[in-house]
Amino acid sequence: MADKSNDPVVLWQTMIGEMEKGFNSFANQAMASPEFSRAMNQAGGAAAGAQKQLGELMEKYLLAMNLPSRSQLVGMAERLQSIEGQLNEIKALLHQVHHNSAAPAGGYGTARPPRTKRPPSPGGEQK
Amino acid sequence: MNASAGLGLAARDLAELPDRIQSEVQRAIQRSIKGVEYFSTSGPSLGSTPKDILHVRGTMNLYHYRPIADEIYRVPILIVMATTNRGYILDMVPGQSFIEFLLKRGYDVYMLDWTAPKPEEKTLGMEDYVLDFIPDCVRRVQQDSGETDITVIGYCFGGVLSLLYGAIFNDGPMKNLICFTTPIDFREMKLFQNFSDRRYFDVDRLIDSVGNVPPEMILSSFEMLRPASRAASQVQLWENIWNDEFVKSYRMFDRWATDTLPLAGEYFRDITKDLMWDNKLYNGTMSVGGRKADIADIKVPILHAVAEHDHIVPYDAAKHLIARVGSKDKEEVMLKGGHVSLVAGANAIKRLWPKLDSWLGGKST
Repeated sequence: MADKSNDPVVLWQTMIGEMEKGFNSFANQAMASPEFSRAMNQAGGAAAGAQKQLGELMEKYLLAMNLPSRSQLVGMAERLQSIEGQLNEIKALLHQVHHNSAAPAGGYGTARPPRTKRPPSPGGEQK
Repeated sequence: MNASAGLGLAARDLAELPDRIQSEVQRAIQRSIKGVEYFSTSGPSLGSTPKDILHVRGTMNLYHYRPIADEIYRVPILIVMATTNRGYILDMVPGQSFIEFLLKRGYDVYMLDWTAPKPEEKTLGMEDYVLDFIPDCVRRVQQDSGETDITVIGYCFGGVLSLLYGAIFNDGPMKNLICFTTPIDFREMKLFQNFSDRRYFDVDRLIDSVGNVPPEMILSSFEMLRPASRAASQVQLWENIWNDEFVKSYRMFDRWATDTLPLAGEYFRDITKDLMWDNKLYNGTMSVGGRKADIADIKVPILHAVAEHDHIVPYDAAKHLIARVGSKDKEEVMLKGGHVSLVAGANAIKRLWPKLDSWLGGKST
């Protein structure tokens, strides 16, 4: 396109970009006021309290229905995670044992590279 | 511009109009096809650089990335990730991975990454992160690598944790410190300051009610900094959905940005009271678990990379870091871009990563 200022697609994109900037800037100014902070925190505090009460109520309801609650499922997930963690520990230990026992001469291909690297000389090629 | 030139330009535009219309029609068709594809497929696989899990303890995960160079630097790197987000921002896809870059340049890389703290981990405080998790990982890195010295790299709040660690354990073993977009003057995080205004924000009530701070709350507080940007980015996605590269990049960054972690309750309480309200890191009055944590006590070489258009950590919140640390060898580098593109965007690949390599290489032997 010869002149981008005449391109409707470019004009559209510029308009979206400018609208985004304008709205962000306007909203940032509004959100910087103490009134905004007060209103936001009042609403947030009430929502957090309500959420806690609802959670407790649901827990009792699920118990009465003989169904597992979220916290019980989370507990099971935690046990699984703990088992997974222990498996990882075992894996890391095995890896370490294997690494320690790997013969340096000939090796098994899993031995780590030597820690002998030097930075390239100024203007030199990066290794 | 004279009248004849203006007419010439308009005539040229008119001549190109059929091609332009054809191209837009093709894109509209592609949008429909790719739009269906977008919703029926998953994004690219992220964080796939081969690694071993060295240790997992609750929210803490320590990874070791498998070296790929024939020869590596003596001093290993421990990356401390921000506690609000996942570490794969530094390991997106091959060719766009900071981790892969470091491995190719011959560094031995470990990462302290976080998973969502469980409900019973709500009691974890700043003390657990700075005096337990980081030192534990440092010990494990020393044991695994067989080296005493360690370079620590902290991203965003991972930088704050690294600074606190470095200030307290200032006699070693940290040999070099690199911080990415790390705030120290929390008065300058203006909107976060207003959101957590102590006159209206009852942090104790919040934590006592919810335990851990839910990820939705963290995400919405980030999104509120630029409330129109999510809608605008979706318009941009629709316009560019015919462009596979754009879509791939959009999906990677969008997935990461929305993959926010909850924060442990006590830790959030500590951050709010000590940093947001009392600005103790900047004032030099910070202590963790009763131990003084003044960044003036950090003496190791330090590099701080900041982004010119960072809306999460504005430059004013980060600019005093270099002046305040006690190191003689210290440098700040400011790059174009935002909070995320600094470490993972095109600018990162072209500028930040090579700069970091040239700064760190000589200090890693």
